Order: sequence, then structure tokens, then C-alpha cells
Amino acid sequence: MTNPPYVRLAVALPVVLFVWFCTMVPAVSGGEVLVWELAWLPQQGIDLDFVVDGLSLLFALLITGIGAFILLFAGEYMKGYPQRGRFTLFLVSFMLAMLGLVLADNLVALFVFWELTTITSFLLIGYSHEDATARRSALQGLLVTSAGALAMLAGFVVLGQAAGTFSLREMLAGQGSFAAHPHYTAIVVLVLLGAFTKSAQFPFHFWLPNAMAAPTPVSAYLHSATMVKAGVFLLARLTPLLGGTELWMVTLTVVGAVTAVYSAFVSLGKSDLKQVLAYTTVMALGVCVMFLGSPPAAGQGEPSRGVLAALAFLVAHALYKAALFLVAGTIEKATGTRDLTRLGGLRKAMPVTFAAAVAASVSMAGVPPSVGFVGKELLYTAGFAPDAAGYVPWAVFFAAAPIATVAMVLAIRPFFGPRPDYRKPGREGHWALWCGPVVLAAVGIWWGLAPEFPFMRLLVPAEAAVTGHLPDTGHAPWHSTGQAFALTLATLAAAVLAFWKLAAVKQALAGCRRLVPFSADGAYDAAMNGIAAVAAWQTRRLQSGIQRHYLMIVFATLGLSLAVTLWLKNVVPAPLRLAEATFLDWSLTAVVAAASVVIIRSRSRLLGIIALGVVGVATALIFLNFGAPDVAMTQLIVEVLITVIVAVVLLKLPDFSNEVWPSRPKRLRNAIVAVTVGVSVTLVLLAVTGSPPQPDLREYFERNAVPGGHGRNIVNVILVDFRALDTMGEITVLAIAGAAVFALLLPRTRRREGALLPGARAVAARAQAWHGSIMNTMILRETTRRLVPLILVFSVFLLLRGHEQLGGGFVGGLVASIAFSLYAFVFGPQAARGILRADPRAVGAAGLAVAIASGFVGSIREGVPFLTGQWGTLAGLTVGTPVMFDVGVYLVVVGVVLTFVLGIKEQE
Amino acid sequence: MEALGYSAADFYYLLPELILTGGALLVLLVNIIVPRRGDLLFGISLGTLVVSGLVLASFAGVDTTVSRGLLAIDGFALFFKAIFLVSAALTLLMSAPYLRVEGVPAAEYYFLILCAALGMMFMASGVDLITLFIGLETMAIAFYVLAGYLKPSHKSNEAAVKYFLLGAFSLGILLYGMSLLYGVTGTTRLDGIAEALAGQDRSLLLAAALILLAAGMGFKIAAVPFHMWAPDVYEGAPTPVTAFLSVGSKAASFAMLLRIFVEGMGALTPDWQVIFAFLAVVTMTVGNIAAITQSNMKRMLAYSSIAHAGYILIGVVAATERGVVAALVYLWVYLFMQLGAFAVVTMLRRHDVVGDELKDMSGLFARAPAAAVAMLLFMLSLGGIPPTAGFMGKVWVFGAAIDQGFIWLAVVGVINSAISLYYYLRVVVFMFFKEEAAGSEIAMGPAMVTTLTVAVVGTILFGIYPQLLFEQAQAVAGSLGASVTSAALQ
Repeated sequence: MTNPPYVRLAVALPVVLFVWFCTMVPAVSGGEVLVWELAWLPQQGIDLDFVVDGLSLLFALLITGIGAFILLFAGEYMKGYPQRGRFTLFLVSFMLAMLGLVLADNLVALFVFWELTTITSFLLIGYSHEDATARRSALQGLLVTSAGALAMLAGFVVLGQAAGTFSLREMLAGQGSFAAHPHYTAIVVLVLLGAFTKSAQFPFHFWLPNAMAAPTPVSAYLHSATMVKAGVFLLARLTPLLGGTELWMVTLTVVGAVTAVYSAFVSLGKSDLKQVLAYTTVMALGVCVMFLGSPPAAGQGEPSRGVLAALAFLVAHALYKAALFLVAGTIEKATGTRDLTRLGGLRKAMPVTFAAAVAASVSMAGVPPSVGFVGKELLYTAGFAPDAAGYVPWAVFFAAAPIATVAMVLAIRPFFGPRPDYRKPGREGHWALWCGPVVLAAVGIWWGLAPEFPFMRLLVPAEAAVTGHLPDTGHAPWHSTGQAFALTLATLAAAVLAFWKLAAVKQALAGCRRLVPFSADGAYDAAMNGIAAVAAWQTRRLQSGIQRHYLMIVFATLGLSLAVTLWLKNVVPAPLRLAEATFLDWSLTAVVAAASVVIIRSRSRLLGIIALGVVGVATALIFLNFGAPDVAMTQLIVEVLITVIVAVVLLKLPDFSNEVWPSRPKRLRNAIVAVTVGVSVTLVLLAVTGSPPQPDLREYFERNAVPGGHGRNIVNVILVDFRALDTMGEITVLAIAGAAVFALLLPRTRRREGALLPGARAVAARAQAWHGSIMNTMILRETTRRLVPLILVFSVFLLLRGHEQLGGGFVGGLVASIAFSLYAFVFGPQAARGILRADPRAVGAAGLAVAIASGFVGSIREGVPFLTGQWGTLAGLTVGTPVMFDVGVYLVVVGVVLTFVLGIKEQE
Repeated sequence: MEALGYSAADFYYLLPELILTGGALLVLLVNIIVPRRGDLLFGISLGTLVVSGLVLASFAGVDTTVSRGLLAIDGFALFFKAIFLVSAALTLLMSAPYLRVEGVPAAEYYFLILCAALGMMFMASGVDLITLFIGLETMAIAFYVLAGYLKPSHKSNEAAVKYFLLGAFSLGILLYGMSLLYGVTGTTRLDGIAEALAGQDRSLLLAAALILLAAGMGFKIAAVPFHMWAPDVYEGAPTPVTAFLSVGSKAASFAMLLRIFVEGMGALTPDWQVIFAFLAVVTMTVGNIAAITQSNMKRMLAYSSIAHAGYILIGVVAATERGVVAALVYLWVYLFMQLGAFAVVTMLRRHDVVGDELKDMSGLFARAPAAAVAMLLFMLSLGGIPPTAGFMGKVWVFGAAIDQGFIWLAVVGVINSAISLYYYLRVVVFMFFKEEAAGSEIAMGPAMVTTLTVAVVGTILFGIYPQLLFEQAQAVAGSLGASVTSAALQ
């Protein structure tokens, strides 16, 4: 079985990139900074500049170098898995995103790449796993890191705002440290949230071990060698801007130390190879964070090299951890298990893997000669520096000793002892599988023997990029002190002791574990469940699905805001002047109040509708009483028509009396809301009635109605002349509504019997019975026959006199509609269609056409704008296009209302 | 009194609207002449939108008012009209296959979609309270009916009735506010209102008007606590209608809101900033938290749409040109991601599956990989994760808020984005890591492919190269012009 070409191509890419980055080493280690500039969003100060300095070059080499081996390994390891093209694509995309992250100069670009690594990692974690555990861990990893990243973004935005730029170079060149900025604390907290979640620092460490469900090459690459180090990278990157303060140093050191010690001990208790490696990774990340919190160089004397120690340890860790992960993958591939308790005796069958595992473990344990040893020496040295916190060396000790024990377990347990029966052959695999571990582990040993190259060429330039100055290299920076060496020996002694008594140690750890009743993972679950519970509760409260509940909330909000405004504005309502109220005022108020009570109390639909009509009519009378006959008339007729239509519709609904009524407390609550709204609105009105607003409005129209609009009925003149355009819009809306309702009423969709509302069939039967019922008597029929022509004539009368006196097209149209509706009620819709002699829709369309045509009269005759009123005399009468327009309004109203009424009647 | 009405120039600048009207009428007419030709009607409707869009494009750079100053033909209007036409076109594209599956008549449906778009156009152009209101009404009436278009479906019926009743209340509240404002200022024209308010004390009446107007507009953009209609209506309405409702109607309402508050009531900026800041916070929070529990995709997207109204409001609160630009950019971005997500949900509607439950997304990656990857992008974009357009929108909105000292508001926004990730990513988990859901094969016709392609391209393009969009938004935010600057100066 050979690999498809794209797999080989995918290996070639990181190799080429690695070589390319290697060519930059001489220049960069000489202090140069290489820049590629790409404009992206110049206005927003967001550019896609890539910068290669000591720090980014170090990371770029790790990413591409280890990436090459991972892709090589994956090509072999993933053979037989489905959809490998996608897998390879995701892996390569991840690598490129990671490169972008470390090379980006712009914070926003950095964030973009940061999230890209999260997304690709998500796709890779969940790859080929369809069980619930994988789903949960994929979502968990993504949620924790993305939420942290968003916090970080907020931190970036505040930082960018403070600096006036998003470019890291410009920030450094400009202001330097932000320690004195008023938002400094906010920036640090937000950024640290991002870095700590990504780099799995306590208490966000739990997602990383869970994410180990991914295929082994993914775990090796993402969750150990590169992605999780992005947080560490970011901390290093931002140290010159944000570091050096008490807040920064204490937070990093404490969090890092807790993470390192805690996870080191947890790893000791695990038996799944990958779980063990995951926790040791968390430990390494903790150590790096801890030392990035080292105090900056004091200036005189021996500079503190905490940053260098962190970076050296990071490189050492990347090398040995990638190697060990790949070893774990090779063993799993060969034997079918990665449970340490079920492994053993592989030394002879897998000699090369064994060698690689030993070499890597030596580095991991910090045994000379290895780069791991050098790294740990530096940690101790930096920990003993005079300005470092006193507990630092001990934190390192308690983290390093368990890790050394784990290293011994990893190197010994799978390879020695009796060989159990494996489901698989348990032999050395393809060279692509062991090539990576061998080379990476060998490099670890080589750099331990000859530390000059990695330190002078890579680590010291990287340190310089973080601390901002190339230190004066009086002596080799990798040399440690005697104190440190002594502690290293103590570490190893402790580790050997623990390995010897491993069973007892594990038991003790398990005992400790039981003493702690909670875990961060459990806290995550609790938080998720808590959010879900809050969400469910809130949804139940707000989204009951009951319409009156919705209205209640809306009105409560309105009433409350009005009440608060009144209170804030300290409003004193005008005195009520009750003495001036006439008998009519009192009686109208009483009628409205009484009818309102009836509406609320009524348990019959019909009674409710009638009471509602009473309120409407009384309101019309109030308008009349205050000298607005037009409004009163329109209100009155609209009220009549609405009562009719609502009655037609509501009578189709099932009986009302069976409805469940809200409980007494709920009714009380609704009443309070209603009263609040009513009182607030009343108070607002009372407060402003003292001074009627803008009296000039009325004057203006009174002065202009006759000369400008040739009419004395101001309301009508406004409607058909001054604001004819708006009226045009309104009747168009009306026509659209007519067409829309028609669409709904069309019986074109086959309505199944079961789809009828419960009880609706009985109602339909009731409506059928109406035509023969006792109420539909001869008297009603005869009256209707006589009355309808009269009403129609009256409606035309209203239409024609509208411009001068009470009336108008709208009112006229409504009156005519009432006439036809009445006819339809008594004689049935077909009969009404008969006397109308046209489809109501056609009537409406004709009305619209007449209205539009009236607008063009002026344009054609005199070239004036559309809808400009034109007046002339015809047979002794003053006629004008506004009247014609009004005719159009009349027809539209008739057409639309009848479309509704007849359509609904015909549904029966 | 000067001459009233339209001149020839007026007609010229109203051509996009007139074309829409003509197209809508043509749909009805053709349906009578050759009945049951859904494809033909679809072609006419889409053609209408395209022609209208082409004419509209020729107005780039125009800044004038027509019909006696009732309608502005400016960059702002043009920008929004483009949103409406694009979203209407995408809605049509996803409707065609959907209508076939549902077996409902097409003519009135297309007619109403075009009418709704027409109403939106007036909402973007109107610079007079009454004109704005008429536009709103036109749109709303079309949507009331569209929401209930699936007659045999109880959910759809319920959606229509709820939307209609609550919508009518909201229009009443809005009108009340408008009439108070008219009473205070003596004019319905926004420039006149701005002028009148500039020298006025903030009276009680004005405060009441402000509250009522904010509540009325809050309804339309589905801001909490005026949002309750949205989940019920979004769930019950036909899915493409929901898509159009959540994008077109929301954008149009924001256009109207910006016109009224920024252009007309710029003098009261500090007062409405408080109101909208409050609305933004509760809207984001309630929307995002409620979305977590939803198991129905349409309901989930409804709450997400509510939350997004909150993010956009942050841009409004900033009340600077930058804030307006942010809101404009966000609305465009929102168009692509939201319509795209709804397109995927629409696609899952098959003759044997309703397909709008979260569990229907299970294993989509195995069944229709392209659609699943597209949905992944939309979800990431809605969650504000780069390199998608949603990220750029959020950066800009939060940036505008921080710029104006509303750091706490931006922080609330970021926290909310973090919460929202949970439910967006849950969809992704379902698509990629779950067993396939039941149901027949998922058919991706050319119309659906087009919709998804446009949505994906928009989501990616404006995420990677947002420059295009920012430049446009920046250019048009200025046409909300003088009042914006004066608001910023306060």
C-alpha cells in the first residue's frame, strides 16, 4: 500500500519551509529583523506584516521541523483511515496557521491565525471519532480556547486603542511598556485569559488531556509540540509591552508553578500512555509560563536568565515530547494498546523505537548529556537568582522529580519485563514511523553535548527579542551553578526513589485525589449545566408562547420606562380642572370605563366585541365633542366595520367559555401592568396639556387649505392634496393587503379534515344554520333591500362633498363597504357579488389606477410634477384632480374591504 | 405652497422601486394568463430584482432628495437597498425548491416577497416620518401574510396571527411616538425635526416620544424585551421567509432606526444612547442565553438573530460615523452568514423530513460535505471567529464602542460572543461528529448551489478582504451626514 502523491507533497512543504527558515538563521542571530509587508486593511491599521526575529524564527523552525516529521509519520500511521486527503489538508492548514501566528506583526492578524489554529485543531481532534467522548472533548477544547481567545481579542482591542496601532513593531518603537496605562490591568487580565486557556494553565488545564482523543500524530503536533505553546509564545511576545510589573510577574509565576507541580503529580498516576504525556505537557507549559514571569534583568551584575531558561526548556520539551508521542503512536500501531499496565517486553522486537524512547526519556528526565539536562539546569539557576521568588526552585523540583519518574516509566515499562499477548504482531514498523522519534531524540542528545549552536544561534537571539537587548555574553549562557547541579542530583535521586516505590506513590496520589471533591473538568460541566439551566429558566419565563404574556411584558416595559421618566423629570401634572367638565364629558368617560370593564369580565366573544365597539363609538363621540368631526366620523365608521369583520372572524372560532382563564395572581399582575401603563400615559398627557404643542400647525393649514388646496375640509385637503403622496402610499399598502389576504383565503391548498381547528366544524354548521334562522327574517331582508341603495348613495354623497365639508373618499368607501357587507350577510356573498357586478379586486385595482391617473393629469396638461392638484370649472362646478384622486381612494377601500368580507364569508 | 408631487427626475430616481412594483404586478398578471408556471414566475421575480439592482447601481454617488424631500436618494439609501435586493434574490433562490416541496402556490408568494422588498426600499430612502411608516407598513403586511403562507401548518398559522397582532401593537406604539414627535416639532420631516430639536429643551413629551419610538423600532429589530414574537414567528414561518424576515426586515428596520435617531434626533444622542445601550445589553444577553437551550434550528437562529440585533445596536450606541459604519458593515456581513445558515436549513426540508431540528443536522458532513463545510463557515462567522466576515463585523462594532468610551459595552459584547460559541459550535459538532440523521437524500439544485456559493463567498471574502466593504460603508455613512457629525461633537 503506497501513499497518494499529496501525502508526499504534504511532507515536502514543511521541509522546504524549514530549509528556508534555516537560511535566515545567520542574519537573525546577528540581530537583524526580516519583514514582509502586505497591506490588508490599512484604514483600520490592520496589515498582514510578517516579521522574523529571534523569537518567531525559533518557533518557525520548531513548527516546520517537527511538522515535517509529523506529516511523514502521519502518512504511515493513518494508512487505512478514511478521508485522508481531508486529514492531510487540515494538518497542513494547521501548520500554516501556526506559522502565521508566530510571524504576524499585527495583533488582529495574530488573533486571526490564533483562531485558525483552534478551528483546524477542532477538526483534527474530532477526526475519525464518532463517539460521545470525542464529541465532548472536541467541543470542550474549542469552547475553552475560543472563549479565552475572545477575551484576548478584547484585550488586544483595548491595547490597540491605548497604543493607537495594532502593529507590535510600532508599539515597541513607540511607547514601549504599557505598565503605566490606565487600562493596563484590564489588558493584562484579558490577554492572560487567552494565553492561559490556550496553553492549558491551571485552572483551564482540563481540556488538554481530554483532547488527546485525537489521532496520535495530531496529539503529538498540536497538543504538545506547537499549538499549546502559542500561549507561551504570546506571553513572550508581549513581555516587552506588558511585562516587568508586579501583576505580570506574580500571576505568571504563581499560575505556572501551580500548573507545573499539579500536573506533574497527576501524570504520575495515569497509565494511558497518551494521558501521561498530556499531563507532562501541561507541566512543561506551566514551567515555561512560570519562568516567563521572571523579573527583568536588573542591569548590573549577572542578568537573570529566566526567559532564556523558559525558552531552552521549551525547545527541549518540544524535541523529547514529539519523539515520545510518536513512540507512543508506533507502539500503539504495533501492539494495539497504549495502556502502560498491559505493555512490556518490546525491547527486542522494536529496538529502534526502544533506542529513541530511551534517548528522549533521558532528555525528559534531565539526565546529562541532553538538552533536557541543560534546560533544567538553567531553570534551577534562574530560580536561584537573587531577584526570583524563593519558592521557584522548589516548584521546579516538585515538578521535575515526578516527571523524571514518568520518563523512567516511559523508557522502561513498555520495553522490559514479560511480553504479554498482543492482538497485533508487536514488531518494528515502517521507517516513516520510527524516523521522527530517532532524529528528534538524537537532536536532543546532540544539543546536550554541543549546546553552543542552539544557544548562540537560536535561543539567545530569541531571548533578545523578548527582553529587548542582546545580553553581554561574558560566559556561555548554558553553564549552570553548583547549587543548581546539586538540586538536579537531588531531583534524580527523588525520581529514582519514586520509581522504586511506584505502586505506593500511585496509591498515595489516588488517596489525595479522593480527598479533593471537585475537579476543573467537573467545574466545566457544572458551568455548562448551569448556563443551560439559566437558559431554560429564562426561556420559560419570557417565551411562554402565550400572546397575552408577550403583550404583558411589552406593556410592563413601556409603563415602567414612562413611569421612570416621569419620576426622573420630576413632573407635576396639571390640575385636573374637574369643575369644567360637562355632563357629556362625564357620561362619555363613564361609558368608556363601563364598556372596558365589560370587555375584561366578559366570557362571551360576542359581548366582548360589542363592548369594544362601544368603546370605539364613545371615543368617536369624544372627538366630536372636541371639535374634530372628521376624525370622529372616520373613527365611527371604522369602528362599525371592524366590529362587523371581527365578529365574522371570531364567530368562526370555537367556543370561548371552555378556555382556561389565567389564575387570580396572574390576573392581578396583568391588572397592575395595565394600570401602570394607563396611569403613566395619563400623567404624561396631563403634564403636557398645560401648553398645547405647536399651535401654528393648525393655523398653517387653515391659512393654506383654500388657496392651496381649493377645499375647506382641512383633513381632506391634507389627505388628497398636501400629502397626496403619502395617501398614495397608504392605498397601495391597502391594495397589497387585499391581494395578500386574497392569497390566504384562496382554497387552493387541499385542507385536510383533520387540519380544521377543534370545534371549527361545529361553528361552520352554526354559520350555515344562520341563513335559515329566525333572526334572518323577512323584515331584515326587506329592510336591507331598501337600505343598501340608500347607503350607497350616501357614500357617494360623502365622497363628493368631502373636499368642502365633512366626508371624503376614505369615509365614503367605508360606508359603501358597510352597505355591501350588510347585503352579503343577509343574502350571502354571491348575491353581494351580483349587485357589485365586478370582482372586488378589480374594483380595488381600478381605484389605484384612477388615483395614479389623477396624478398624471397635471403632468400631461401643464408639465407640472406628478400629483399636483389641477382645478377647473366643468358645467359650473369647480372640479379638480384631488377629487378624482379621492374617487380612487374610495374605490380602493371598497375593493379591499369587500375582498376581505366576501372572501371570509365564502370560506363558510 | 410649492408644487407637490413628482417631477420627471423623481420618476427617474424612483425607477428601482417602480420596477419592483411593475415586476410584482407582472407576477400576478402572468399567473392569471398562464397559471401554474412557478418557474416562469420565479424568473420574472428574479429578473425584476436584477434589473432593479442594475438601475440602482447606476445611482452610485448620487445625493439628492425626490418627491419634495420625502425620499432621499443618497449613499445610505443605496447601501441598504443593495442589501434588500441581494437578500430578496437569495431568498427567492432558496424559495423555488422549497415551494415545490411544500406544494404551495408560488404567484402570491413571489408577489409578496417583492412587495416586502419594495417596502424596505422606502424605509431606507424615507426622510419623513410618514413615508418611513408607509414603507414599514408595506413590508410588515407582506410579512404577516408570508409568515402564515403554509396554510395547513398550525405553526405557520400561529406565527402569522402572533406576528400580526404584536406587529399591529408595535406599529401603534410607533405611531404614537411619531405623533408626539410631530406635536413637539411641528413637522414630520427629519431635517425639520433635527432643526427644531436643536434649540429645544428636552421636554417630557419629547422623552415620551423617544421611549415610544425606541419601543416601536425595538419591535421591528427584535430587541429584548420586544423580541418575543421572533422565535415563534421564525419557527412557524416558511424557512425562506424566516430568512428574509431575519435579514431584510431587520436591515430595513435598522435603516429606519438610523434615519430617525441619528438623522432626525441627533440632538438627543445622549438620551437615546442610554436607551439603546440598555437594549443592546439585554438583547445580546437574553438572546444568546436563550439560544443555548434550543433544539430547533429555526428557533436557535431566531435567538441568534436577536443577539445580533444587540451587536448592531452597539454600533448605533457609539453614534459616531465610525459606529454607523460598523452597523452598516455588520448588516452586510450578517446578510451572508444568516441567509446562508437558513439556506442550509431550507435545503434539509425534503418531502419526508421537516428538517429544521438540530438533530436533522447530524452527520451532514457525511451526506453533503459541501453544505456542511458551508454551514461550518456560517456558524463560525455568526460566532465571530476569523477568518470569516462575522469576525470583522464584531471587531468593527466593538472598536467603535471602545472608541467612544463604551468599553464596558464592548466587554459585554465579547462575553456574549463567547457564550454564543456554545450553540453555534454545537451545530458543528452535530454535523461532523454524529451519526447520520434519517430521511431521504439531500438534493442540492442549481438554485441552492447558487445561494450557498454567494453566501460562502461573501462570508469568506469580507472576512479576508473586508476592505471592500469598509470603504463602501465609510463612503455612505457620511450621507447620514451633518447630523452624525453634530452628534459626535456633543
